[in-house]
Amino acid sequence: MISIELDNITKSFENTRAIDGLSLRFEPGTLHGIIGPDGAGKTTLLRLVGGLLKPGSGRILYKSGPNPAAFEEVRANLAYMPARPSLYADLSIREHLEFFKSLYQLPRDEYAAKSKRLLEITRLERFTERKVGELSGGMYKKLGLMCALLQSPTILLLDEPTNGVDPISRREFWELLYQLLEQNILILISTAYMDEAERCGMVHLIDSGRLIASGEPKEILRKEKAGTFDELFLRSAKK
Amino acid sequence: MKRNFVLHRALAIAKKEVMHIMRDPFTLGLAVVVPLIMVLFFGFAIDFDFRGIKVAVYDQDNSRLSRELVRSFSASEYFKTFAGASAGAPAKEIEEGKATISMVINSGFEREIFSSRNSQAQIIVDGTDNQKTGVVAAYLGGIQRAFSSKLSGSPASDPIKITARFIYNPELNTKWFIVPGLIVIVTGLLSILLTALTVAREWENGSMEMLLSTPVTPFEIVLGKILPYVGLGLTGIVFVYIVARLAFSVPFRGSYLALGAACFLFITTSLAQGLLISVITRQQQKAMQASMVVGLLPPLLLSGFIFPIESMPLFFRYLTMVLPPRWFTAIIRTLFLKGTPFEGLVIPFIALALMAVIFIAAASKRFKRDLEP
Repeated sequence: MISIELDNITKSFENTRAIDGLSLRFEPGTLHGIIGPDGAGKTTLLRLVGGLLKPGSGRILYKSGPNPAAFEEVRANLAYMPARPSLYADLSIREHLEFFKSLYQLPRDEYAAKSKRLLEITRLERFTERKVGELSGGMYKKLGLMCALLQSPTILLLDEPTNGVDPISRREFWELLYQLLEQNILILISTAYMDEAERCGMVHLIDSGRLIASGEPKEILRKEKAGTFDELFLRSAKK
Repeated sequence: MKRNFVLHRALAIAKKEVMHIMRDPFTLGLAVVVPLIMVLFFGFAIDFDFRGIKVAVYDQDNSRLSRELVRSFSASEYFKTFAGASAGAPAKEIEEGKATISMVINSGFEREIFSSRNSQAQIIVDGTDNQKTGVVAAYLGGIQRAFSSKLSGSPASDPIKITARFIYNPELNTKWFIVPGLIVIVTGLLSILLTALTVAREWENGSMEMLLSTPVTPFEIVLGKILPYVGLGLTGIVFVYIVARLAFSVPFRGSYLALGAACFLFITTSLAQGLLISVITRQQQKAMQASMVVGLLPPLLLSGFIFPIESMPLFFRYLTMVLPPRWFTAIIRTLFLKGTPFEGLVIPFIALALMAVIFIAAASKRFKRDLEP
């Protein structure tokens, strides 16, 4: 099981400082929510953890149990679902799954069992031949998640997976995540929906690249004497 | 820890690319139909055999011999004569663009010949187009010799006589010269364009972000992207070959094995060049512009397609060596017209193979493994 530690990370692009001195700890077996408004630095944070960006300063430590692990070791078990559309419009659901199967070099029978189960829980079995360009927003996100989950990752990075998804599909999505959590993996999910914060095991509220609060959702609300996370953000925005 | 090359993953990329191609009529057309049309179109358009060059004639002698001289021009299909209308200013027709040549035969032309003095006719040639002028000069020489020998009633009595026999292309048919060269230019440009767009497209539609988080390596992506297009490019060449043989009757005297190998190497090199552009620009628009700059003018002007490399300054002669079309032009002209055995083509083949390797390596090396701007 892999845990991740961020040690005073900063990251700047030209004139903007996307991440400004973040220190965080992500433990396995927990669903971590990165919560923040648009432009808070959520995507940058996930890309840093996924190795797609290099920190400007500070360190990211990956640990396998108590021992440090090299990123290349971690990468093999890391799955990432980007926020922006990243699938091929002209390929069907089945073609996507087969493509990622080959990239992850899954054995045939493992793939068969895995894809069957994933299609079942996403309830997309009936649509396997449909081209991605013709999928609804919710279906699209679910397919992205399926592609990421094919390889049984120990770290799952999901960048705004429920953005633009209807409420029912959103609920299904979260149920899917809880099922995954039973396999004791580390899930990092970012969202701009404050109501989703309460669904996470741990939440990390960020704004302008800085940490506002971190902890169990109820704990944070009690400590900050706020009713909801919306309220908390509004308060911090006024400051 | 360095990630190992896995053929299976490269093939997965290739398979996906094939699906994109099969579903995109534009790409299929660009690879197979466009070369066919371009070679046909330009093959018919480009011709170095100048015919019907306009000659304004000022025959002030109007004798039997002067008329004979004019006739020797008009009899050749290369010249079209007409009577000049501006006596006293024989260059006027040229100035006005009505003629390329003005011929002035002074009165006394015939008399001077019979009194066995040297007789002269003056020819004024429009020098704005060097290439035309060169050809005209060559024709003029021929006509003059023919006319002289006709006068003396015996073959030209030059003390030294050089006869040239043109081998490989005895009639100096320009189509035979142009069409194989055209194949090079057209396939080269289109191959660069085909791949220049592919990686840039993955960056633009966001799929690269997902790909980069999988175990796939840059080299696997580069290889997987090249493979399907090699097949596509070779298909295009087959069509173009058929056009060259049937529409332009260009002979083919070399071995098909050598042709196949050369096409494979050249297409691979050009595709890799396109990928390198794509990997660096990461935007389809920029990739397109860069490919046009790299893929069009240098091959057109410096590959020996039209202008001989031997007559370039030393620096440029060396520069042409880094252009894949230069080597492919050499190979393909030889295969079509000469049919030299393979040993004669070793250097161009080595050069092409070397460049294929270099471009593939460069594209893999420059491939960004992260999303840093």
